[in-house]
Amino acid sequence: MTAVPRVGRAFLPVVATAVIIVVLPQVWFGSSEYTTGLAVQALILAAYAVGFNLIFGSTNQLFLCVGALAGLGGYVTGILADHASWSIWPAMVAGTLAAAAVGGLLSWVSVRRSLGVIFTGIVTLAFSLAFQDLLLGVEHLTGGSTGQVVTAAAVALSDNRLGGYYLFGGVVVGFLIVFRLLQISHFGWAFRALHDDEMAAELAGVDVARYRIYAAVIGSAMIGLTGALFAYSDGFLSPPTFAFDQVDVRVLVLVAFGGLGTLLGPVIGAVVFAFLDYALINSGQLRELLYGLCIVILFLGFRRGVIQALGGVAERFGPGGTGAKRWRRPAQIRERGS
Amino acid sequence: MKAVILDGIVLGLGLGLLGVGLTLVYGLAGVLNLAYGEIAVLAAIIVAQLIAGGVPAGLAAVIGVLAGATAGILIDLTLMRPVYRERGGHRVLLGLLLTLGLAFVIEGVLTWRDPLGALSINVAGGPVRILGVPLAVGSVWASVIAVAVGAALLVFFTATTFGRAVRSVIQDELGAQLVGISPPLVRTVIFGLSGALAGLVAVTQAMTAPVSVTAGFNLTVLALIVSVVGGLGSVPGAFLAGVLLGIVDSASATYIGHYITSIVLLGAAALTILVWPSGLLGSHEG
Repeated sequence: MTAVPRVGRAFLPVVATAVIIVVLPQVWFGSSEYTTGLAVQALILAAYAVGFNLIFGSTNQLFLCVGALAGLGGYVTGILADHASWSIWPAMVAGTLAAAAVGGLLSWVSVRRSLGVIFTGIVTLAFSLAFQDLLLGVEHLTGGSTGQVVTAAAVALSDNRLGGYYLFGGVVVGFLIVFRLLQISHFGWAFRALHDDEMAAELAGVDVARYRIYAAVIGSAMIGLTGALFAYSDGFLSPPTFAFDQVDVRVLVLVAFGGLGTLLGPVIGAVVFAFLDYALINSGQLRELLYGLCIVILFLGFRRGVIQALGGVAERFGPGGTGAKRWRRPAQIRERGS
Repeated sequence: MKAVILDGIVLGLGLGLLGVGLTLVYGLAGVLNLAYGEIAVLAAIIVAQLIAGGVPAGLAAVIGVLAGATAGILIDLTLMRPVYRERGGHRVLLGLLLTLGLAFVIEGVLTWRDPLGALSINVAGGPVRILGVPLAVGSVWASVIAVAVGAALLVFFTATTFGRAVRSVIQDELGAQLVGISPPLVRTVIFGLSGALAGLVAVTQAMTAPVSVTAGFNLTVLALIVSVVGGLGSVPGAFLAGVLLGIVDSASATYIGHYITSIVLLGAAALTILVWPSGLLGSHEG
């Protein structure tokens, strides 16, 4: 059955990640603002990805609206801080809650109407596109396509400086802790059950609907909080920052690469794609082509993610990894045998 | 008022034609082809390059449609193989993700090689008056073609043996196999037909407004909305939904505003999924 890892060992990967994040600037960045900026971008994507991983990787809800949820968090923060003169911290809380509420609503609707994966995807995609149009349409509030400055932003945290790096580094570590806590709690048990076989889970007493909504609310809150913090740290909001092809595609690819449903998958995916972006900096158009190829190859060959594939290889040659890796889904065993 | 409705119908027939290709493939193969718009753009660019190379427009258009058909068949024979091995929800998800990737590949290649490419077909003639409303002759031609194709499809699906074979595979893949119909063959043909329709849409749309290299995603989303509202898998549904949405779009654009129009259309799609999951004329679960 499932080997639930002992709490200490369970958080080892998170601690390791935190250590690496703390140490990396000294070891590698030097004083290059450019590299720091890239790292911050990677951390922001990783933060989105952990939230998305919770929603899609754990409970199979294809939310193609990550960018929109982040934008909701960011813009609500910006608008409340600037137009309604709220102070920045309550504004960020409001932004996070707005995203969590919308994510929860989308999930509730999907669950109530028993929408399958594809219709959930279509509805959330529609929301994503409508949100972009909303941002552009309500110009007097959002600044439209020229964007809007968040005057309450903290310049010291702007995203090409170390402050921004540590801010988002902390966010990612925090999210990983939450993810891990969920994994080893009854939430995780319920998520695994409903992910493997929804009907069997219902019969076993798991309230599939409720756990799906929980996952969506928490994941959306993560995404919204990241968006809100982005508004706070970067100080400038514009619609393309949160567009489907900027955020959602990347998050989908990097989570799939790292491994849907795994703890560190999003982080590893974000790191790899940060390197890839850096390598492709001079061939902008090729980037789109490459993302497309990655999606195709990933989902053709490495459906469980590259990390799982590598982990499978390691399993055969070494003693088991941390307790979490020892757990293997029945589907995987069947797959190996056939 | 009359102008708004007629405009809407003209637009809607184009939308319907756009939706038919997508809805056919979903109804038949259970695959939501997110690369559909890109196939249309690919055909458009091929036609544009042919015309620039001196080929007469009519011939170039035919080649474009054939190119679309070829693309469809190629996709079915290669990328879709692993998708067909899955069933139900897994097939849908895998098909969705693979075609999404393919869409990015195609758009990436096109924007990389020909970033400013666009197809525009000018149909000779002044505005045509229908019911007292002047309409651009290109738009009228586009609508006529759409209606003709729609009628042809209807005849195909009801009166020909192969057409009926297609419908039987849509209804029950296993049952069709049991009576000797080959689902893989039917799927390949329909994918090819869908590709041809995409190419045709590119050509007819180009008669009203330029089709650019970046139009792919937009076309896919429009096709998606029309298909979903009309009922995934239903050809008449796609046309009906297209016309309805075309009128809504036209009215909304005239009386309300540009951005709100997009939101209204997207909202209509979402609302339809929530209230009638099988769409206006659809008959089975998506």
